[in-house]
Amino acid sequence: MAERRFILIAGRTAKQGRQINVGKDTADYEEIVTTLTMHPEDMKALGVSPGGTVRVRTEYGEAVFRCQEGKVPAGIVFVPYGPPTCRLMGGDTDGTGMPTSKGWEVEIEPVEAVPSGPEDPH
Amino acid sequence: MGGKPACTLGEVKNRADLIIYWGGNPAECHPRHFTKYTLTPKGKFTPNGRKDRTMVLVDIRETPSARAADIFLQIRPGRDFEVLTALRAIIKDQPVDPERVAQTGLTLDQLRDLAGRMKRARFGVMFFGMGLTMTRGKYMNSSAILTLAAELNAFTKFIAMPMRGHGNVTGADTVLRWTTGYPFGVCFNRGYPRYNPGEFSTIDLLVRGDVDAVLVVGADPAATMPQPAIEHLKRVPTIVLDPKVSTTMRIARVGILTAATGISAGGTVYRMDEVPIPLRPALRSPYPTDEEVLRRIRQTLAARTDE
Repeated sequence: MAERRFILIAGRTAKQGRQINVGKDTADYEEIVTTLTMHPEDMKALGVSPGGTVRVRTEYGEAVFRCQEGKVPAGIVFVPYGPPTCRLMGGDTDGTGMPTSKGWEVEIEPVEAVPSGPEDPH
Repeated sequence: MGGKPACTLGEVKNRADLIIYWGGNPAECHPRHFTKYTLTPKGKFTPNGRKDRTMVLVDIRETPSARAADIFLQIRPGRDFEVLTALRAIIKDQPVDPERVAQTGLTLDQLRDLAGRMKRARFGVMFFGMGLTMTRGKYMNSSAILTLAAELNAFTKFIAMPMRGHGNVTGADTVLRWTTGYPFGVCFNRGYPRYNPGEFSTIDLLVRGDVDAVLVVGADPAATMPQPAIEHLKRVPTIVLDPKVSTTMRIARVGILTAATGISAGGTVYRMDEVPIPLRPALRSPYPTDEEVLRRIRQTLAARTDE
C-alpha cells in the first residue's frame, strides 16, 4: 500500500496527563504515546485495521504507531505528545523560540512492526 | 498589538456571559476549569450559573470539550489567523469575502453570528490554547486574538487569556518578567538581561549547540522537545531535578530526585490568571526541595570560588 499524506496534530489527553504523574517508564505511558487516532474512512483507504501499525514520516524523522479509529476529521491524525512525536518534530523555531508542534505534514504507510518505544534509537 | 486585555478568573466566574475556548481542550487538559471558573459556577452577575453563559469552542477537531459547548466551530488546521482577522473586520462592519472565509472551514454567517454575540455580550472572554499558539502563525495568532479582544472593548468588556500548561509555567514567566522585564528566552552572559526569542530560547540554544551544560528543573524536554534538541542534551552534561525519574533524567549525566511541589514541598504557584497562590505541603518527602538543592549547589560553587 502506498504512502498517504496527512496532517498530524500532537496534543494532550486526560489519560496521558494522569499517566505523566504516575510515571513515564510504564507500559501504559508507552501505549498512550504510541497510539495514533485516525478517521475510520482514512484507515480503510490506507488499508490498516484498528490495532494495526503505521509508520509516520516527516522531513525530520520517523516513528511507528499503533492505529485506532477516532473522532478526527478526515485527513488529520492525532497523537499524544511523547518521545515518538519528538522524533517527528523539526528543531527550527522560525525565530520564535517555539517549534511547530501541531499541524505537521506527514506521510503514513502501514507496516508490520512494533510501535516505537521511548528508547527507540532513531 | 495593544498589550493583553486581562482579568482574574474570579471576574470570569462572577461576570462572564460569553466564554470562548480557542484551540484548547479544557475537558481533558484543565478538567476543573468549567466547574470552578467558567461554566457552571454561580457568580454575582451570573446567578443562574450555566444558564447565564454561552460557551463557544473553536477547534480543528471535535474534542471532548465540544460536548460542553453551545456552539462548536470546526475550522481547518492552520486557519486561525484568517478567522481572527475576519472577525476583526466584521466587528468593525468592514466587507469580508465569503469565498475566502469558506477556505477556513466556516461560513460568513457563522462568523457574523459569533461577532454579533461578542458585541452583545456583557463580559466576554477568550481562552486560547496551544492549538492556536503552536500551530502555523504561532505568535502572530496570539497577537491576533489579543488584538481582537482589545478592539472588542470599543463595544463591551472583553478579555483574552492563555490556557497555560501544567506545573507553574505562568510563575516562571511572571517571575522572569518582574525580575528582568522579559518572560522567557533571557540571556545573562553579559551580566545584564537580554531578550531575543529564536536566539536565547531553549530549543534554539540546544539545536545550535550553543550551550555546553544544561540544568533542567521540573521539566521533561526529552519527552516534549524536537529530537535535535534532545540529541544535544545527550552530548553535554545535563543535570535534572525532578520528583520522578523522567525521560530526560534517563539521558542526563546527573539526576536528583526532589520533593513534589504542592504535595511534599511548599512554595508559590501562579494560576493562569497570574494570581499567586501559596502552597502548603500536605505530606513529608524523604527528598530535598528544588530550592534546597539549588541553594546547596550555589553555596558549594560560591565556596569553591572563594578558595
